[in-house]
This record gives sequence, C-alpha cells and structure tokens, in this order.
Amino acid sequence: MCADLQSLYRETLIEQSRNPKNNYVLEGANRRSELKNPLCGDVVTIYLSVSGDRIDEASFEAQCCSICRASASMLTTRISGSNRLSAISLAEDLIAFLNESDSVIFENDDSLQALSGVKAFASRIRCATLPWEAFQKAISD
Amino acid sequence: MIENLTPPATPDALKQARDDFPILSRTVNGKPLIYLDNAASTQKPQSVIDAANRYYSHENANIHRGVHLLSTEATAAYEAARKKLAQYLNASDESEIIFTRGATESVNLIAHSFLEPLIKPGEEILISHMEHHANIVPWQLLAERTGGRLRVAPIDDNGNLELDACLSMMGPKTKLVAIVHVSNAIGTVNPIEAIIAKARENGIATLIDCAQSIQHMRLDVQSMGCDFAVFSGHKMFGPTGIGGLYGKRSLLKRMCPYQGGGDMISHVTFDGTTFKEPPSRFEAGTPHIAGAIGLGVALDYIESIGIETIRDYESQLIEYAVNRLKSCQGVEIVGNPDHRSGAISFIMENAHPHDIGTILDTDGIAIRTGHHCCEPLMNRFGISATARASIALYNNSDDIDALVDSLAKVRALFG
Ligand SMILES: Cc1ncc(COP(=O)(O)O)c(C=O)c1O
Repeated sequence: MCADLQSLYRETLIEQSRNPKNNYVLEGANRRSELKNPLCGDVVTIYLSVSGDRIDEASFEAQCCSICRASASMLTTRISGSNRLSAISLAEDLIAFLNESDSVIFENDDSLQALSGVKAFASRIRCATLPWEAFQKAISD
Repeated sequence: MIENLTPPATPDALKQARDDFPILSRTVNGKPLIYLDNAASTQKPQSVIDAANRYYSHENANIHRGVHLLSTEATAAYEAARKKLAQYLNASDESEIIFTRGATESVNLIAHSFLEPLIKPGEEILISHMEHHANIVPWQLLAERTGGRLRVAPIDDNGNLELDACLSMMGPKTKLVAIVHVSNAIGTVNPIEAIIAKARENGIATLIDCAQSIQHMRLDVQSMGCDFAVFSGHKMFGPTGIGGLYGKRSLLKRMCPYQGGGDMISHVTFDGTTFKEPPSRFEAGTPHIAGAIGLGVALDYIESIGIETIRDYESQLIEYAVNRLKSCQGVEIVGNPDHRSGAISFIMENAHPHDIGTILDTDGIAIRTGHHCCEPLMNRFGISATARASIALYNNSDDIDALVDSLAKVRALFG
C-alpha cells in the first residue's frame, strides 16, 4: 500500500470508524445540527447538551465514509465535558489545520493527528471537517 | 449458474483506439491511468483536441455576422457540425438540432420554451424514479412556477422501470413524459419505444435524456419517434461546454425563445422584436463555436469506428465487468437491470464508496463515488452513495481486472 494511503487510513482512524464513540441520538439534547456535503451526499448530525458554558454531552449520527465517521467520533469525544469556548476554538484550529498545508498545531495530539492523512487527498479534506463544521453550526445556532 | 468470465476480444476497429486518446498514456499516482469514469465525462481523442487548436489557430472569428473570409469559414464549420449531428441522429432536417451547453441546458430550454407556455395548473409532467437531477429539478421549478404537477414512475428492486405503472400514469392531464434512456447511475436501458408509443397515442410530448446513450448505441430519432432528445458533448468524446437537443421541427417552430440577444432575432425595434426561425431562435449570442466544431469531429471519430461495433463490444465488456464484480467477495452490485449499458454501481459491506474511490485512485483507477446526481434513486435503494465504474470504447478487460484487483485491497483494509 502506498505511503499516503497508509497515512490516511491509520489504524486509529480505521478503528474509530469501525467502532465509533458517541454514535447515537442524544435524548434531551438542546442543540442539534445536521450538515450535508452536497458533493457526495454524506450527512452528519451533531447533538449537544449544553448547560451554561459547558458542553455536558455530545453525540452524532451519520451516513458517511470512514474518515468522516472517525472524525465525528473524535470530535464528540473531545468536546463532551469541555468548556464551550475551548471547544469552539478547537474546532477552528482543527479545520484550519486540515485545510492549510503548512499548519502543525496538532503535532503532539495523536488522535487528532490521525486525521492529518487527508491533507494528501484534497478531495477528502471535507470528509474530515464536516462533523466539526456541523458542531460549529450547532453551537452557534 | 456459472457466469461467463471470458474476456471479450477487442474488435479490429478498436485495437488502436487507446492510442487515439493521449490522456490514457499518463500516469496517476505513479500508476498507468485506468479511466472508468466515462459516465461523468469521456476522454477526448487527439482529433478533437487538434480541432480546437486548429480553430483558434486558423479559423477563429464570430459566426453568422461577418462578410470576411474567416467569419464565413467559421460559420460553415459551425453549421457543418450541426449537420453531422443531424445525420448521426437521423433527424429529418438539420434545423432540428439546437446547440446548447449540454443536456442540462437542453432540458431547461425545453422546460422554458416548450412546456411553460403550454402547461396549466394541475397538468402533469411524468418522469421516472431513476432520473438525473438535470431531468428532475427543471421540472420541479416549472411546476412551482405554473402550478403543474410532477409525477414519478416507479422502478423495481432490480432498477428496472415499472413499465405498466409508467404507462398507466399517462393520462389526459399528462403534458410531457421526460425519461432517461440509459441511467447514468445504474446502467438501466429503459424501454423508451413503448413509452413513446403510448405517449404518442395520447398526444403527450416526449423528451428522452440521451446523455448516456448517444455515445454507446445508434439513436435514430425518427424511428424512436420522440419529440425531443437531449445530450452533452463531453460525454461523447467532445469538448465540455457544448451539447444540444433534437426537437421536432413542427414543435420548435411554435416554441418561444429561450434567451434573448444577438443572432436570434429577425428585427429589433424598441417597440418589439421578431425572432428567427429555429435553430437560430434558440441560440442567442455568440455560441461555443470551437466546441460545436469539436463535437462534430468527435462524431467523425465515433463513425470512423462504427457505433454498432462500439455497442457490441461494450455490451460484452459490461457483461464481463458485471460477472467479475459478482464474483468479488464483499461487493454488492446495486441494480440488476434486464438491459444494461455503460455503468455498474456497487457498494461494499464495510467500506464506504469514498473510501473505495480513494484507494482505487492510489492505484491509478478513476471511478465515481457518491449519489451520481440521482439522490431519489439512491433513496429508492436505501443508500446514500455508490461506487460506479463506467466504460467507453477504449476500455478493455485488463481495466476491469485491475479494478477487481484493487477492490481486493479495499477489502483487505476494511474487511
Ligand atoms: C443521464 C444524464 N442526464 C443529464 C446529465 C447532465 O449532463 P450535463 O451535466 O453535461 O449537462 C447527465 C450528466 O451526468 C446524465 O448522466
């Protein structure tokens, strides 16, 4: 298998896409946002239960590819129990990191770094950012 | 049942075909390109590429308006391309061919200039469940503007049109039946003869979306008997940005203009304007002259091989591809139509179509993944996307074998 492909489909990513975390409808969520990538038809829905400045719980549902599902799993794991503002800035940073070729912000973060393989596949970057964009929409609505 | 896994022999007329397409000798990700995304767009033979070059190097001028030599030559070349299309489709007159940007614009033109002035609230447009968005959305928009109703003929689980249901949906309220000839997503060849026959009996106009048939089989619009047929140049070895429609002369003559501008008028005063006869009435402004000329050269290319030769060879190749994919573990073919042309859609148990597409791409294999602009069809099968391999005259059994080998890698990765 070629190196780019190996870097795209890292074990952590395949593992998370096979057994994603927080992959359910969150009953009692007070924020919900569905985002579709019209280019490919993938759909992700992010559910949040937010109280004050805290995101108590986050979950997702999706009809999507492995990268998008792994990314949604990572996102919801990261932001569950976190501060609202820091989650917002994490999303901003991650989207910038994936879109900008020279960005290295997540070098020391193994799990999010696993998404960086998409950088070699321009057509797949949106697969990784879609859940994060859905989160941005949910939290700002 | 033992499926036929013998690769089809390449007929003599196609033996050198690959060499005619310069792009087929490039590499992708270090591997020779294997192009199986022909339903999205076909590659171009050198002769079509040269035609654009020649036009801009030696003939470039506007058409239908100059007295100088270049303009006269450009006009002649543009009109010669129209004539070639008329001959290829066996239209009774070249004025029945209108150049547009492609199938999408052709459908929109027919919606605007033919159906909109005609349809009354409550009257119906009949399409099928397997249409491309290009043959859905213009009708939805029209229905919204006019109070017309869009009706959808069902398909069965194999991806065949339910013909009886379709025929029974044609009634006194139906104004137009607009049906795809060959499905771009699952390859179904529709029984358009029966549909057109019933429509004609009932005085219903017919539009056949030939975007996926014109490059694969002989189309004779007179024996088909349809009122309109639409197509895109870039899917038949021609340039992008050019395509067209066939329309029966008696209908075209009654239709209102599509866009206003130069070249489509007889007289303009500030009190009003009179319009030219078809085809000029529907070709406002400076058209894609180089594109039309290139499309004519693409037709020459098809005819130099012979569309019957192409059809016979491709039908063997697509059968070979279906049988190879059927024997591929973990691969499920979406749609099992009685008659198939050009395309095969499939899904894999654990790998999403995009993941399949990415892995194949690293092997130099280009396929399409996604909903193929057929979301209602995807919904009918309860899926959001497929992987689709689609062939053209230059593909061969080695391409299909490479596809199958690469799918084994997908399975190894995703299980
Ligand atoms: C069946 C069918 N109809 C219409 C179209 C639209 O063609 P274009 O985008 O060239 O206008 C396509 C293109 O994919 C098609 O496959």
